[in-house]
Amino acid sequence: MKRLWPLLLLPALLLPELALDPFRGGAPADLHHWLGTDALGRDALLRLLLASARAAGFASLCATAALALAWLLALSGASARSALSALRAAPALLWLIPLAALSGGLERPVLAPLIALLLAPHLEAPLRVKAEALRRSPAWAVTRIQGATGPRRLIAWAPWAAREASSLFPSAWLGALWTEVTLSALGLGPGPQTDTFGRLLMEDLPKLATGATSAWAALFAVLALAWGLSFPEPAP
Amino acid sequence: MSRALPGLAVWVAALALAWLLPGHLWHAARPAPFPLEALGPASLALGLMAALPPLLVYFAGPSLARRRSLSALEAPPDLAWALLLLALWPAAAGPPGWTAWTAALLAASLPSEARWLASALPPESPFPQAWGAQAARASRRRSLARLLPRWLAARLPLWLTASLVVERVFGLPGLGSDWMARVIARDHRGLALWILAFALLWIAARPLEREAA
Repeated sequence: MKRLWPLLLLPALLLPELALDPFRGGAPADLHHWLGTDALGRDALLRLLLASARAAGFASLCATAALALAWLLALSGASARSALSALRAAPALLWLIPLAALSGGLERPVLAPLIALLLAPHLEAPLRVKAEALRRSPAWAVTRIQGATGPRRLIAWAPWAAREASSLFPSAWLGALWTEVTLSALGLGPGPQTDTFGRLLMEDLPKLATGATSAWAALFAVLALAWGLSFPEPAP
Repeated sequence: MSRALPGLAVWVAALALAWLLPGHLWHAARPAPFPLEALGPASLALGLMAALPPLLVYFAGPSLARRRSLSALEAPPDLAWALLLLALWPAAAGPPGWTAWTAALLAASLPSEARWLASALPPESPFPQAWGAQAARASRRRSLARLLPRWLAARLPLWLTASLVVERVFGLPGLGSDWMARVIARDHRGLALWILAFALLWIAARPLEREAA
């Protein structure tokens, strides 16, 4: 369960944007602003914390939706498997970039279901292997012999399904996180009225060469998010 | 063949979508010329990507898939590697070009590719490990030779995505940017060709999925 901590950051999506104060832009670090202010006068530390928490919350939302969808696909029949394999042939970002370029950027309410839809086929395959193993097990047969109907059996096995899905949560979360961050860094994410972690990275990381503190803080945030789930699950 | 039909239908739908791409540009835009100058660096990067992970896996074995250090290198995104290289690029070396692009692409992709290959290898314990190191290496060599073509077919779209991100960070016109430029210019024919290439890669990678099942 400790791997599900990003779900706690879901409420960060509801936090308001920081107020702009261009006349105080580019201020150096002091006691009030530990990392100084950005070009638009926002506190750099607060901006970094807010943007990374929002990105993590957004990724949690997408990963949860993708895992729920992947379970539905894994439990459905074999007829669509080759279609899912075709959808898996290219990473989500390769489909999202032209789509975002066509529509001039994708706002979060549109981006979330799209990421979930494109990630679900990638998560379906490992979940299907687990579902098929369960279907062949005596435990599943016993519930059928005891007369449980389809929906009742699904409800009875829901905790098991959630546990199995949670083992895939870190990879789903990282996939959703970096998809959104990369898209917004390329200027194809939400519009300028919404601050994003990707945009912040694009502004701050190149400043590493100058030794700017905010750049090191941004790099630390990337590594903390990347390694925050104690690394992706190693393959068996 | 009938099993592949829904998948083929997805590719036909994607082709139709590329051909009937909606929207009109307010100005006449000529399709961007194919970035021929990117073919050289792309071939070099492809050669390195095709050679380095199998070599690494050949020497390290399937246990490489469980190394946490490899997972740690794999976790940061392509974007972070590209931006890091951009920041640390020495000013005296001029603007980062195809050398930096190749380095960033390799840094971003090698760990995941090595893990992908290592986790696809059959276990070596107790056999062929019990027969000695030579037998284990021979087994690895045979498995890798069988995996290589299908691994390349399955992973090429992923490399193209990584390439696109790195190209955008360095401002280089490459194969990944070509895909995006054709969407923006509504180049139906060019996009359809790209989709056709992806579909062919999918067909080439299909046998791998059958084996996994």
